[in-house]
Amino acid sequence: MSTPANPFEQLAYNISLQIMDGQIVYVGTGLPMVGAMLAKKTHAPNITLVYESGGQDPWEGPMPWSVGGAATFRRAPMTMEMAHSFAMAANGFVDIAFQGAAQIDMYGNLNTHFIGGGFWDFRSRLTGSGGGNDLSSLSENVILVGLQDPSKFPAKLEFLTSPGHLTGGNSRREAGLLGNGPVACVTQIGVMDFEPETKWMRIKGLNPGMTPEIAQACTGFELKVSEQIEHIPAPSDDILQVLREVVDPHGIFITFPPRVR
Amino acid sequence: MPSKFTYNEEALENLRIEDASILDRLIDDESFREGNLKKHRGKIDKRITLQEAVSKYVSDGDIVADTGFSYVRTPMQVFFEILRQKKKDLQFIGSPNTNQSYVAWSGCSKYSHNSYIGAEMRGTDRNYSRMVKDGRVKVLSEWSHGSMGLGFKAAQYGAPHIACKQLLGSEMLKYNPYVKLSRDPWSNEPVVLVSALHPDVVFIHCQQADRFGNAKISGPAVNDIALAYACRKVIITCEEVVPELLMRFDTKDTCIPFMIVDAVVELPFGCLPGCCPGNYYWSREWWEWLMRIGLKSDESIGDFLNYWVYNTTDQFSFIEKLIKDLGGLEYLHNLKRLEKAEEYLIEDIGVDFSYEPVIPITE
Repeated sequence: MSTPANPFEQLAYNISLQIMDGQIVYVGTGLPMVGAMLAKKTHAPNITLVYESGGQDPWEGPMPWSVGGAATFRRAPMTMEMAHSFAMAANGFVDIAFQGAAQIDMYGNLNTHFIGGGFWDFRSRLTGSGGGNDLSSLSENVILVGLQDPSKFPAKLEFLTSPGHLTGGNSRREAGLLGNGPVACVTQIGVMDFEPETKWMRIKGLNPGMTPEIAQACTGFELKVSEQIEHIPAPSDDILQVLREVVDPHGIFITFPPRVR
Repeated sequence: MPSKFTYNEEALENLRIEDASILDRLIDDESFREGNLKKHRGKIDKRITLQEAVSKYVSDGDIVADTGFSYVRTPMQVFFEILRQKKKDLQFIGSPNTNQSYVAWSGCSKYSHNSYIGAEMRGTDRNYSRMVKDGRVKVLSEWSHGSMGLGFKAAQYGAPHIACKQLLGSEMLKYNPYVKLSRDPWSNEPVVLVSALHPDVVFIHCQQADRFGNAKISGPAVNDIALAYACRKVIITCEEVVPELLMRFDTKDTCIPFMIVDAVVELPFGCLPGCCPGNYYWSREWWEWLMRIGLKSDESIGDFLNYWVYNTTDQFSFIEKLIKDLGGLEYLHNLKRLEKAEEYLIEDIGVDFSYEPVIPITE
């Protein structure tokens, strides 16, 4: 028996379950990369990975440390440019893009600019958009990834960097944005999706040991609840073995608490 | 000074830009073309040293483009030389714009056109955050990677602007004077117009170039092909200068033509402590030191730069310092081995990619 999955491992597993075989997947560094590699090594061997710096379809190898690093273009048949990699999303060649953020609101809008104040009096300035806004605006489906707590899931963002469903309803389409926007939000609590009409975030599935009350306590806005909440299984021993021995053997991303800060 | 162009008023107000003329040069297509018409047409040997290139081509107040991808094929040794020569008031533009953070120290660079600052999983950049907060760095425009990339592409293709679907619904629209919300004239759907962008000066690191400036990039080009065409002054730094005949008989990866290039600098190891595809891996220890110790406070970034930049003279004296405590020439060799193995140019079985943080985590 393997040791039970830690929160990062459960998260990586849940991310992997969002990916279907044959899809083109746009990944950033960190847990989404781990989840995508896990999917490729388990139920989705025929996915193609695309990276923002221009790498696409690398030969399998070590886990990339950077979305511009060698593993993203390792023996790739061709390597492109940044403008091309986002054009792929705009032109309908990116099925899933993963996104993290400092703040996520109920409509799946994201803030990666600053926290703790406004544009001039923030407590901490963050990275900015990077490719986040591009992927949110252009990809067919966006999957949000984060560690859920009330400050990271507030009712009001301090800055709207990347659009989700904006103000809900049809507002995303009316703004002229492409794709379906966020379709899921994967956290240590479970998996949320968005109500079809209002586009408000709701609980879809819960990780082992989690309850709707815990989910709500970890959220700064009212979480809607699906009629049928799924119970997400813990990853099997076989999957944990792939995750720990093949995907991230050095525990760069799945060690809990995290090693690199 | 009156500005030459009509900017998004809301953005000027939000960004507290009183004198909008500071924004003009980045989108001045006319002066860009005039400058290009005056460029030397002939095939001449353009090789100069890095010191000469920075001295001659980087003027105080210039808009400098960050190239490569944070620390991938980014000529970090060029930024170190810009610091050594104590240039002032530079604007920095880049997607990503990671390297502005340490360059901004001591007033070398004061203005930002940003899509991203930081070093991915290595964490957020406390130095940059501090400098923006106390006004030592002023943000002049907020971007996404893709929208800025399209600004460079518009310039490359000679188009005054380009319409895109990025930035719609984002608050960045209110913090960027160079983009405008508009409607597609055919479909009437919302679009964002991005102006063509012309930074003043760019240093692009290439694996190979000839002495005239024809250059090859392997690995992701990121924005660098577009930047080579978009910028006013273009300097190629390269791992090696190869015979022109090689360029003619092996055209693979050639993406920058000599006529747009002002100077060629032979700069082996020019990306260290970042990586150069096909050549060497980044120094993970150095980046850990930078992110976790160097950027911590004003004092620490000063000490850090004194040690690594102001008390070195070029990439070789930098390397001597770097490898001194990390295992000497074997460390340098391992950087080559790691890069080539990760790209699978050499056998990777038996190559150890593991990395243990060198600074104990006590926080």
